[in-house]
Amino acid sequence: MRIAFVAWNTFKETVRNRVMVNILIFAVGLILLSLVVGDWSLGHQVKVIKDFGLSAMSIFGLLIAIFIGIRLMVQELEQRTIYVIASKPIYRWEIVVGKYIGLGVTLAVNVVLMSLALWGADLIMEGKMDLGLVPAILLIYVEILLIVGFALFFSSFAAPTLSALLTLAVFIIGHLSEFLREYVQLYPDKGFHWLLKCLYYVVPNLEKLNLKMAVVEQIERPPHAVSYGFLYGVAYITLLLFLTAAVFAKKDFK
Amino acid sequence: MSNLAIRTEGLTKIYKGELGQKSIVGLEDLNLEVFEGEVFAFLGPNGAGKTTTIKLLTRLIYPTKGKVWILGRQNTTRLSMEKVGYLPEQPQLYGYLTGGEFLDFLSRIFGLDSEVRKRRTAELLDRVGLGRQKDLLIRNYSRGMMQRLGLAQALINDPSLLILDEPMASLDPIGRKDFRDLILELKRQGKTIFFSSHILSDAEMIADRVGILNHGRQVSVGRLGDLVSSQVTSVEVTFVLDPTKLSQSDLGTKDVVVQAEKVLVHLREEEEVPDFLKRIERWGGRVVSVVPQRKSLEEVFMAEIGR
Repeated sequence: MRIAFVAWNTFKETVRNRVMVNILIFAVGLILLSLVVGDWSLGHQVKVIKDFGLSAMSIFGLLIAIFIGIRLMVQELEQRTIYVIASKPIYRWEIVVGKYIGLGVTLAVNVVLMSLALWGADLIMEGKMDLGLVPAILLIYVEILLIVGFALFFSSFAAPTLSALLTLAVFIIGHLSEFLREYVQLYPDKGFHWLLKCLYYVVPNLEKLNLKMAVVEQIERPPHAVSYGFLYGVAYITLLLFLTAAVFAKKDFK
Repeated sequence: MSNLAIRTEGLTKIYKGELGQKSIVGLEDLNLEVFEGEVFAFLGPNGAGKTTTIKLLTRLIYPTKGKVWILGRQNTTRLSMEKVGYLPEQPQLYGYLTGGEFLDFLSRIFGLDSEVRKRRTAELLDRVGLGRQKDLLIRNYSRGMMQRLGLAQALINDPSLLILDEPMASLDPIGRKDFRDLILELKRQGKTIFFSSHILSDAEMIADRVGILNHGRQVSVGRLGDLVSSQVTSVEVTFVLDPTKLSQSDLGTKDVVVQAEKVLVHLREEEEVPDFLKRIERWGGRVVSVVPQRKSLEEVFMAEIGR
């Protein structure tokens, strides 16, 4: 139950955070703006709106994940609010997991609101709401949760700016994972081969969570793409939470 | 050990230096015993290791060496904090919550049921004078209000042991008076209070025992009465003497204050008193009072940390 209380408290914290609310309003506004952008693309309005909307959801989800995820932990440590909660009869891992779940719920609300905006735009253009977007939206949410996991992990031991850069690097490398693999296979003798190989294995392949193109273009998806992507994300998130909790448990709150 | 609220054994904390910097000894070999039901003041100048000790007691940092027992239980477990209330130095509390929400959140962590939560939250806010500000976001609180709310959160679980880090530092004189009264009331209820302070007068007024820390080492510990009253620093003798006879007296270079017929003399040694009283009689004076001056806590403190 203590995890639920920390999660509820974190949800309140993020919902009352003006930065997050502003990013969300901007994201919803931008998705609705896709109606105008769609108008410029002759004959492909609907596709453009969906593509634009899903991309906006992914990018703004990433922004919220990085800024709020890092802030969540850093603020506790830098402002020393952690002293009060960590001295109570609660395990430190419960604080980590509770915070993660709380932020996860906030992000779910954000994704739902952005999805409603997208479906609203779709309804205006197409006269119906394309529920075929759901698998892509679900995996966007898993990707955001995964990025939050990295943000939380990095911020448990690194400075805020470094944590943000590292999280952003994970996002970029994660989407270039296939290129990394191909490069390593093509040029196995290059000096930094081991580093690229290491990155390929450590950083999650975020393209496994990318169904945007498939749902917009209505391309046939590989079988079990959604369930595989979901489990892939959950496995990484579990590992990240475990590592963050381990770092947090050993940490001196100076 | 059952009557010990706090016990430490060889408690040591060394902060590792970062990137080539030297390690810093925060606390060295502290063996402390605080008995149940007493008010214990932990004194020392800035950087003496008071906050380090408190953070070690409350599991916010881990010892390099040594052990801590809280209410008879080693403080390596979550449950060791169940009957402990802790107020950090200059507490920072969740600014996005109201005072009422904050206490409610913490009382949930302690597993209090709904009725107790509501009652205790309201009672504590009233007790620390924040009853009317319970719906105000904490980010709008003043420093003094934050300190009061910090104290309320330390009491939310009705603790047996209170650990307070510089609790009076941000309070105005009225706040400090209220705080002292509250501490004495909590003591009457049988609670143990362990607090650090650099305001010696406050410690002198409420502490049963005092520990003095300097450079990470405990330099003195004992009952306040033993520390401050066993050492008479001077004796104040007041007597009445006809002013005309004053010039005939041989007061010499003594520390003298004369007000009309009343004369006040500070004798530096207690042994001088019998002889001085005979001289007053010889001059035809009348003794009004003989008051030994004890060493104040501040003087004891300065002597200890000056070693």
